[in-house]
Amino acid sequence: MEQQQETVLAFKGLTRRFGGVVALNEFDMELTNGQIVGLIGPNGSGKTTSFNVLTGIYEANGGSIEFLGQDITSWPAQKVYEAGVARTFQRSRLCLELSIFDNIMIGAHKRLNHGFMFNVFKRKALQQQIKENYDEARKLLTIFDPELADKMFEPVGSLRMIDRRRIEICRALISHPRLLLLDEPSAGMTHEETRELMDDILEVREMIDGLSIILVEHEMGMIERVTDKCIVLNFGQKICEGAYREVASNKLVQEAYLGGE
Amino acid sequence: MTQSLKDKLIILLLAALGAAFLVTFIAIEEQAEIFALLVFAGVLIIASAKLGLTDKISQSLSRNERLLNLSSIAAMLVVIFWFHEDHFPLLMIATVLLYVVACCGLNMQFGYTGVVNFAGAAFFGVGCYTAAVLGGTGTPLLLVIALGGVMAAIVGSILIIPVLRTRGHYAAVVTIAFGLLFRTFLEVNDTLGGPQGLPVSGMNLFGWDFNSNIQITENIEFSFYMNYVILALIMVILTFILMRRIERSWIGLNFDAVRLDETAAACYGINIKRWKILSFTLGNFLAGIAGALFAMMLGFIAPSNFAFSDSLILVSIVLLGGMGSIWGTILAAGLVVLLPEKLQVIQEYRFLLYAVVMILILLFRPQGVLPRNLRSYIPGWRG
Amino acid sequence: MDMGLLGQFIVNGMMLGMMYALVAVGFTLFFGVLDVIKFSHGDVLMVGTFAGFSTYLGLGAIGIDNAFVQLVGVLVVAIASMALLGAIIARYLVLPLKSAPPLNTLLVTLMLGTVLREAIRLFYPDGSNPKRFPALLPTDSWTIGSFNLRADSVILLVGGLLVIVGVHVLINRTRLGMAIRAVAQDEETAKCMGINFKMIVLLTFGLGSAVAAFAGVMNGLYYNEINFGMGLLLGVIGFSAAIIGGLGNIYGAILGGFIFAALQTLGAVALPFASAYKDVFAFAVVIALIAWRPTGLIAEKTSERV
Repeated sequence: MEQQQETVLAFKGLTRRFGGVVALNEFDMELTNGQIVGLIGPNGSGKTTSFNVLTGIYEANGGSIEFLGQDITSWPAQKVYEAGVARTFQRSRLCLELSIFDNIMIGAHKRLNHGFMFNVFKRKALQQQIKENYDEARKLLTIFDPELADKMFEPVGSLRMIDRRRIEICRALISHPRLLLLDEPSAGMTHEETRELMDDILEVREMIDGLSIILVEHEMGMIERVTDKCIVLNFGQKICEGAYREVASNKLVQEAYLGGE
Repeated sequence: MTQSLKDKLIILLLAALGAAFLVTFIAIEEQAEIFALLVFAGVLIIASAKLGLTDKISQSLSRNERLLNLSSIAAMLVVIFWFHEDHFPLLMIATVLLYVVACCGLNMQFGYTGVVNFAGAAFFGVGCYTAAVLGGTGTPLLLVIALGGVMAAIVGSILIIPVLRTRGHYAAVVTIAFGLLFRTFLEVNDTLGGPQGLPVSGMNLFGWDFNSNIQITENIEFSFYMNYVILALIMVILTFILMRRIERSWIGLNFDAVRLDETAAACYGINIKRWKILSFTLGNFLAGIAGALFAMMLGFIAPSNFAFSDSLILVSIVLLGGMGSIWGTILAAGLVVLLPEKLQVIQEYRFLLYAVVMILILLFRPQGVLPRNLRSYIPGWRG
Repeated sequence: MDMGLLGQFIVNGMMLGMMYALVAVGFTLFFGVLDVIKFSHGDVLMVGTFAGFSTYLGLGAIGIDNAFVQLVGVLVVAIASMALLGAIIARYLVLPLKSAPPLNTLLVTLMLGTVLREAIRLFYPDGSNPKRFPALLPTDSWTIGSFNLRADSVILLVGGLLVIVGVHVLINRTRLGMAIRAVAQDEETAKCMGINFKMIVLLTFGLGSAVAAFAGVMNGLYYNEINFGMGLLLGVIGFSAAIIGGLGNIYGAILGGFIFAALQTLGAVALPFASAYKDVFAFAVVIALIAWRPTGLIAEKTSERV
């Protein structure tokens, strides 16, 4: 870690309950500038829940979330996004009826002018903004796949799974986030595709200075290759934290995986 | 012949054909002839679909939007002037046009943001009653129309909290309940005429009396309905432009995102409430302005015009044309309004018939007759 | 307030509550097994009532004029035919749209409601006018002070209660009920356990519609008048009652029915210009309640995964 050790995100005692089930129990974690953290653990251990609490979809029942020095614990999803957090979803949540361009532009929301007058009456200025954003979206998508960048006006529903994942990641990146949350990007893809996607993610990190990533993943090869640090959750509790190698040899972790499922 | 010239010819030909069809369809009275004409049109459409012509034509159309829009207006004007002295055909045409405006409003709600509204007839009715109440007060015509829309939007705002807090089935029942409430209220409220309704006095625009025939020369006299038809056509054009511009802007994108996935939209900063309120209010406004002019044109309104089944007819038009499709709405409004007027056999059975057709559409062609296309922000521009 | 009037309000409110509860139970059953709202439910009720009414006319025509036999005939025909109609609707309209957007199911059933309404209006002899439903129950009454308790009211309330108890027993004590609950809980698992999903859906829709038919006949017997539009109002109110109780929860639906009737009765008592605005008030209550508690007083099971 040669970059300065600025803390980007900190969970302190983060807790979320669903009825009697404690999905997230006193979860503490910290993430510094440019770091990639892997969040692993058996199914239902609270990985996605922590994303949902962080992005304001669920409210926290206890604890706090600090992002870039601000307490964002009970912020609504919109405000969290404005602050610089972008995410993908476990089950891809693109708008399948809309074109690739449309989907990526949803990610660019905070940079677009949404005023009624601007959109309805200032058509020239609007079209200028559309074209500028088109160029940027195209540049970004070209990093992932130049062929895909030629299909900007085709519906997302007609694409393969890996392409949909790429678009989802582009939708997140176009907002210039400081923190990117990737929820099981390898789900539903082959080994080969997962490798390709991983390369893309590493390339993107090289390109965007100071982008931190939290990666939820079951695919251990991916975790090993891309993360700086791993956090293992089980039944909503952090049971281990450290570099992948340390974590993988930890007894508790092995029990959680072997005994838990 | 170059492709672009070919496209232009196709569009002009289509517009001419459309005008000719409409004129014939509206002019003939003999039921057998009407039936034959419809069968002929149906066969023509099916045949061209089978020959792959429809795809080619739709490509030509999408390449020349401006010409398509202009020639459609021209075709409409031809039809209108053809019937310049006939009251009833003009009344029918104006009714279709006003239904287009109201259904565009519903389309903004259903088709763009996915906000359901089964009280369309009620908001149309608010516009009607506004016109009736303002009728005798000397308020200028255009202001009455605008106020009809504003009133509908204001009445709609009563429903905003329930509509924002609910989705799908719940929102549906809220609007259904409102539609029933509205009609029951009108029936028991004596100030607004009770079940007998209210007369709506004629209007004038800058001293121009809308309810008397127009003497052009000694031999040419325009029906007074011409006033309404032309005004309705202008309203359709403005509504069309508004719908198109909204669709082809970030607002349209936000609308779609809200409809398709609220959770993902929220995670990308889209303020769900803001866009739902905008589309709901604008939609009701459009229904209201259509209603205001409709009431003035008919000269008389009663609660029975705003029943739940009328709301369902409006929804049927949106659905039949295709959710979010403006041209679809125009076509469907024409079919739904004109068919029962021309084919007397179905007049009595129209609610039943439409409901059955809607069930078939939902089961077998849920995208509607003219499905909405992917958004192209700038016509002809693809990066 | 006068005792007699108060008693009258209470009996009337109970009767309304019972009918709303019966309709709401149907909505909640359908939502439980399939997560859909069948908006034609109220109109199924209306068709059931007309089926019962026709049976009465038919029995009269062949010379059977014993009120008890007529009543049994009316009930059997109404309930059986609506159970069948409910299953047919589920089979041909609701199940085929299972994977379509929920809005489509909503629209299809709304349109079906129109079809049923219009079919009765157009094709039932003189269908557009209200029909006089016969009083098939004993007309005795007991006078308690100034309050006049009618026997038919008591019988109807007891009958409604028996139907509710019957549904309760069916859902909780039988194999069929267990299967319905299993499907409501988790469709996939239920299928894995060898439950015939489709059959359960059809049976549930049949059951819900049969209960609605009973409520319709009850309505006819109590008010002695039926018309083609009666289902719309009962459907909307029944659905609201189901929502108040939390969709998918049978006891919630029953509770919701009575709460709604209580509010309506209170409204009628409290508002000075009562009777004319009775329905306006009822609809306003529907809107307000849904705005206040969109998922019901007893929370609905949530299924959305993020």
